[in-house]
Amino acid sequence: MTERLRLPAGILWIAPATALLVALSVYPLLYSLKVSFSTEAGGFTLSHYARLFQDRLFFLAAAQTLLYTAVALVVELLLGLGLALLVDSLDTGRGFFRAGLLAPMLLPPVVAAVVWRLIYNPQFGVLNGTLRTIGIDTSRLTWTSGAGSAMFSVILVDIWEWTPFLFLLLSAGLQALPQEPFEAARMDGASAWRIFRDVTLPLLKPTLLLAVLLRAMDLVRIFDQIFILTQGGPGFATETVSLYIYRTAFRFFNFGYAAVMSIAGLVLTTLFARALLRLLRTR
Amino acid sequence: MDLTFHGITKRFGSVTAVEDFTLTAAPGEFVVLLGPSGCGKSTLLRIAAGLETPDAGAVRMGGRDITRAEPKDRDLAMVFQSYALYPHMTVAENIAYPLRIRGRPASEIDAEVRALAERLGLDGLLDRLPRALSGGQRQRVALARAIIRRPKAFLMDEPLSNLDARLRLEMRAELKHLQRELSTVTLYVTHDQAEAMTLAHRIAVIDRGRLLQYDTPWNIYHRPANLFVAGFLGSPPMNFFDHGEVILGVRPEDIEVSREAQPDWQPARVWVVEEMGNESFVVLHAGDTRVTVRVPAGARFDLDQPVWFRAAPGKTHRFDPKTTEALG
Amino acid sequence: MKTAWKYALAALALALALAPVYWLVTISIKKELDQFAYPPLWWNFAPTLEHYRDAFGARSFGRFLANSALVAAGSTLAALLLGVPAAYGLARFRWERLSFWILSTRMLPPIVTIVPLFLMLREARLLNSLLGLGLLYTAFNLPFVIWMMRGFFDEVPVELEEAARLDGDSRLGALVRVVLPIVRPGLAATAVFCAIVAWNEFLFALILTQTEAAATLPVGIASRVTQYEIKWGAMSAAGVVAMAPVLAFAAAAQKYLVRGLSLGAVKG
Repeated sequence: MTERLRLPAGILWIAPATALLVALSVYPLLYSLKVSFSTEAGGFTLSHYARLFQDRLFFLAAAQTLLYTAVALVVELLLGLGLALLVDSLDTGRGFFRAGLLAPMLLPPVVAAVVWRLIYNPQFGVLNGTLRTIGIDTSRLTWTSGAGSAMFSVILVDIWEWTPFLFLLLSAGLQALPQEPFEAARMDGASAWRIFRDVTLPLLKPTLLLAVLLRAMDLVRIFDQIFILTQGGPGFATETVSLYIYRTAFRFFNFGYAAVMSIAGLVLTTLFARALLRLLRTR
Repeated sequence: MDLTFHGITKRFGSVTAVEDFTLTAAPGEFVVLLGPSGCGKSTLLRIAAGLETPDAGAVRMGGRDITRAEPKDRDLAMVFQSYALYPHMTVAENIAYPLRIRGRPASEIDAEVRALAERLGLDGLLDRLPRALSGGQRQRVALARAIIRRPKAFLMDEPLSNLDARLRLEMRAELKHLQRELSTVTLYVTHDQAEAMTLAHRIAVIDRGRLLQYDTPWNIYHRPANLFVAGFLGSPPMNFFDHGEVILGVRPEDIEVSREAQPDWQPARVWVVEEMGNESFVVLHAGDTRVTVRVPAGARFDLDQPVWFRAAPGKTHRFDPKTTEALG
Repeated sequence: MKTAWKYALAALALALALAPVYWLVTISIKKELDQFAYPPLWWNFAPTLEHYRDAFGARSFGRFLANSALVAAGSTLAALLLGVPAAYGLARFRWERLSFWILSTRMLPPIVTIVPLFLMLREARLLNSLLGLGLLYTAFNLPFVIWMMRGFFDEVPVELEEAARLDGDSRLGALVRVVLPIVRPGLAATAVFCAIVAWNEFLFALILTQTEAAATLPVGIASRVTQYEIKWGAMSAAGVVAMAPVLAFAAAAQKYLVRGLSLGAVKG
């Protein structure tokens, strides 16, 4: 005798959304796993995994991705916080400044990358052009064209583009803070710096955590800007994991290996997130 | 150390919150700023604290002009209506904070915090966070934080209004005792006239940004300077009778009532009887005026019963209808 | 900090943020000779609309534009249709674990799913189709829609719906007639955000649309860049067109973007 299946109340509300997500987010993950173990013909193989551990380029890309993430994150966080505090303390025009400062992150990243490519052009770009007009020798400033400076230049673009995101998030966090502890601190005699250190920062911690986490997750999978700006070059100088996977899958059509790298990327990302969380929880 | 407001005026946009306000609180005095919501009393307190700057006038403490001084330079302590405890610090850290930023050595701070906590009944709670405390406990932590630096004055913004009725009465007594012991001049804001009567050395009655009367509770109650003050203090409020050229006011406890007709007494009918247990209030209808009378507990009246009443001799207040000032 | 300095600093930040945007716009209206002039011409140049004419003249540009618009609108609509009921369900029925799982899919790096999705769509013959891309963007935006709308629904007191249902309405009716009007600003902000995400998206569009017929605007722009002879004027014009609706939308929804993100910040 089969029992009537009792569905929890309201399952209809959530079923369609869940179905779509499972189909297009969860299932592909499992599919990816399958592909990572498959040969061209469909058989089982561990060769792709074996290749991963010997692939110097993958680890180089991973290291560069980590460098990119770390530098961009720290700078964006500090700048974002500074801007949030600054704009929050203005008497009028807050909305105006906020709207304007948001612009960089709203652009299609492709468009942002195109602009910066223009700006960075060593001969004709406006950056070197402006520097030259104030007397700086730009013959060695190759920005994205030079292997040494490419990574730095690419990071700079990310900072320009995504600091507004942190600014926005931290601004919202600041606004949500209760006002009274701040007044109490002023009455207690604390200076501006002490108030920041003893009241603002601790109360802002949850928001900071969220901001760092969200941004870090986006940074490790960086693709759009680098694709347009340098295509990973010159050489391998700005290659990140995403680019490497893209190239493996869609230039060399090695889906198996690409799948392995994707999974490795996922694992690394999760570990990174955990480490980040633990690091920030204690500070 | 005394605390003085001199000609303070404060506007917010087109609204005048405080108008030409002058008042001196003597050293050790407990002054209550009493008035309805929006009358400007909290604004005055914040001006004293340095959280707002007046548009005109001066604030002085011990002769020194502190009108433009930063809060941290005024050596005042404030107890906020919702306590404003630091949510991420323990009770001990909250209380210690004012001393910590002054750079006092940790051992000294620790000893003082413990002593104060014990005095206010907070020992045992020192490691808790504010969210794990009851309202009364948070209230006492806020007090402790204010007391610990031995400031020159206390500013209190309706500190009891978030407590339930019984706790409020308990804390009221504690506050009074504490203030008399510390002998620090205190400005206390409230809209509750019972709090004002029981706590204050002097009450400043404020309405719409203006000071209406500044005197001892006894004088404010028995010799109100104008209609507003007369009607604001006293529960149940004073009965008013509009006689055209003069408005008469009599308090419920000053009205005599009789079941038999008396010469020169006013006729009325019983409308409702409120028995409080230790006393009762009878609400009468005389013509189209309602009169509230205090009668002893156990006095029996029937609905619609005819009665006669008069004001006890010498207990009638007279007010000018145009200026609302008390007459004679 | 003195007020004058504060405003100066804020103005500087604003200038740095907007300078590249401004530069893009000027490139799009400068003659080719002026684009790379030295010293750089910030404002003293004769404007021209020839690049816009070029850009719009190319048939492919119109196609890219239309594709982007269609996919953005379609996927936003679908994400709302699926996401709003789901968010409502989560808010009212409180399935915390399910909620957590749904939101964690946002954490999934696209690069992990891109390969299998490519293969899956290829099999389903949905490569190079706006439908395939649209489906993907819907799945993309769904966690965000659910996250945002759930926060908004949480703020609406249950009593309102209960009153409506006591008056005889169904749950769905109460949602539509009572709750949705209250969260309308939040809904609008969410919709704007989804549209922007879909409009700006590049990686998936790049991989899943290999033909010009199906490409979106970012892909179109990128394909021009990787060629050797780049016509920067036309490219910039395309860029300006790509960014204009985003900026306009965002300016309109600015207040609510902050609020929406702050909900997330407060509730974590």
